[in-house]
Amino acid sequence: MSEPPSLRSRREITLRFEIPISKTREFWASLKNGKFVTTKCSKCGQVSFPPQADCPKCMSGESQWVDLGRDATLVTFTHVRITPPSFAKVEPYIIAIGEFAGGVKVLAWLEGVKPEDAKPGIGLRVEPRTSAEGNPYYVFVRA
Amino acid sequence: MTRVAIVGIGHSRFGRRTDVNIGELAFESIKQAVDDSGVDRKDISNVVVGSMGSWSEESLPAVVVNEYAGLSGAGTMRVEAACASGSAALKSAYNSILSGEGDVAMAVGVEKMTEVDSSTTVELIGRAGSYTWEFENYGMTFPGYYALYAVAHMNRFGTTQEDLARVAVKAHHYGAMNPLAQFQKEITLEKVLGSQVVAWPLKLYDACPLTDGSAAVVLASEEVAKKLTDTPVWIRGVGYSSDSANMSRRGSYVGLEAAVRAARKAYAMAKVSPDDIDVATAHDCFTIAELMAYEDLGFCKKGEAARMIREGQTEIGGKIPVNLDGGLKAKGHPIGATGVSMAVEITKQLRGEAGKRQAPIKKGVGLVHNIGGTGHYAYVTILSRS
Repeated sequence: MSEPPSLRSRREITLRFEIPISKTREFWASLKNGKFVTTKCSKCGQVSFPPQADCPKCMSGESQWVDLGRDATLVTFTHVRITPPSFAKVEPYIIAIGEFAGGVKVLAWLEGVKPEDAKPGIGLRVEPRTSAEGNPYYVFVRA
Repeated sequence: MTRVAIVGIGHSRFGRRTDVNIGELAFESIKQAVDDSGVDRKDISNVVVGSMGSWSEESLPAVVVNEYAGLSGAGTMRVEAACASGSAALKSAYNSILSGEGDVAMAVGVEKMTEVDSSTTVELIGRAGSYTWEFENYGMTFPGYYALYAVAHMNRFGTTQEDLARVAVKAHHYGAMNPLAQFQKEITLEKVLGSQVVAWPLKLYDACPLTDGSAAVVLASEEVAKKLTDTPVWIRGVGYSSDSANMSRRGSYVGLEAAVRAARKAYAMAKVSPDDIDVATAHDCFTIAELMAYEDLGFCKKGEAARMIREGQTEIGGKIPVNLDGGLKAKGHPIGATGVSMAVEITKQLRGEAGKRQAPIKKGVGLVHNIGGTGHYAYVTILSRS
């Protein structure tokens, strides 16, 4: 069966976003120094991850940065085998959700673990990394 | 307060529809729905279009669709609730009649997904969460999101990959009876289990396809509905809720809490319980999603969905037949069209027009469960013959 005729658009579009991070600057700066921090509301005590300057619980704009430590427990994971084209140069990766003491959960790659060894309940440690472009990010490794 | 009924339905053939553009595709459903209802187009005060877009060339699908169908001049908007955009459109059209703004409104769902290559679509859908914290550094994918739930459900309740595969086999069994479905052939358990792993434990055959398609329903107030038709299908309950953008902020990964809240509201509004439901559609974008839906909707207890699918409780002849149109898995999942397509299916079932895949209708009540994103948006709609 032959394809019906179509018009291939000539007008291409490329999107790149300049994402503001001024209100979470402390997070990225701390990460560079090896510390994993997030925001805690100064008024009601709510700890949020991802960090946010304004409290989603009581709407207070006053927050402080607290250290989450390094240790977490694997809650769930997946091994992504079909990756987005913008990750074409990356080997298939494990994405895990880890839970820190106090209940804060974080999503990140799990590195250095074979997919068959990833299981809910195993101990994780968060580690800072730097992208090829020089941007800080973080991953989990086995504790 | 007036009641609101579905008085006309329309549904395009789903699949890779390279023969039509978005206006032409929507027209197929709009024409059927208008003809089926018998309304005059000039009496339609409001046309709400569910469409997510970004993979097709038109930025303003609502006005493009209305222009093609001769509906320019009606009030209109495009609504977005990701894969639940169709149900959001239905709710918005329903509310416009309830509010007294007009007596007749239409909900249209349409999505053209195959105008860009499929890897671009993987890229775009992967961003359906929290971009900075999930995609920028970690390349999350849509199957990956649901795989997080699948692993947690398997770990907690002993649900197996075979149980997931059974959902796909059921979907294809009924899809084979639906002439509008993208896939109209049966598949085996072995075929599902042997298919390519996309995001472990989910495989290609655990996932719905990329689909072009449209669906439309005409809604009318009680007074107008009774003049138009002897078989109105009443919207008896509409429940909706949402959850966090970030997966890391979810309470658990064994069910969709937004769906539980939406279901509770819909049952309360319709004054029915899960035991009253004759037939349902569940949002099976991935097989795990259908299993979680059984539990979230109260069709079974938490952790018992695998048993339901093993025992055939969601097939014709079982406790509550689910997705007799083939579901998103076999019928196809044109994002914004899906919620409206589900309402069309349940209307057909309640009218007794579903042919070979007709469910026994005892209480005259059906349910639509439509999820946007990975439980980011949830809509449950209860329809009834009375």
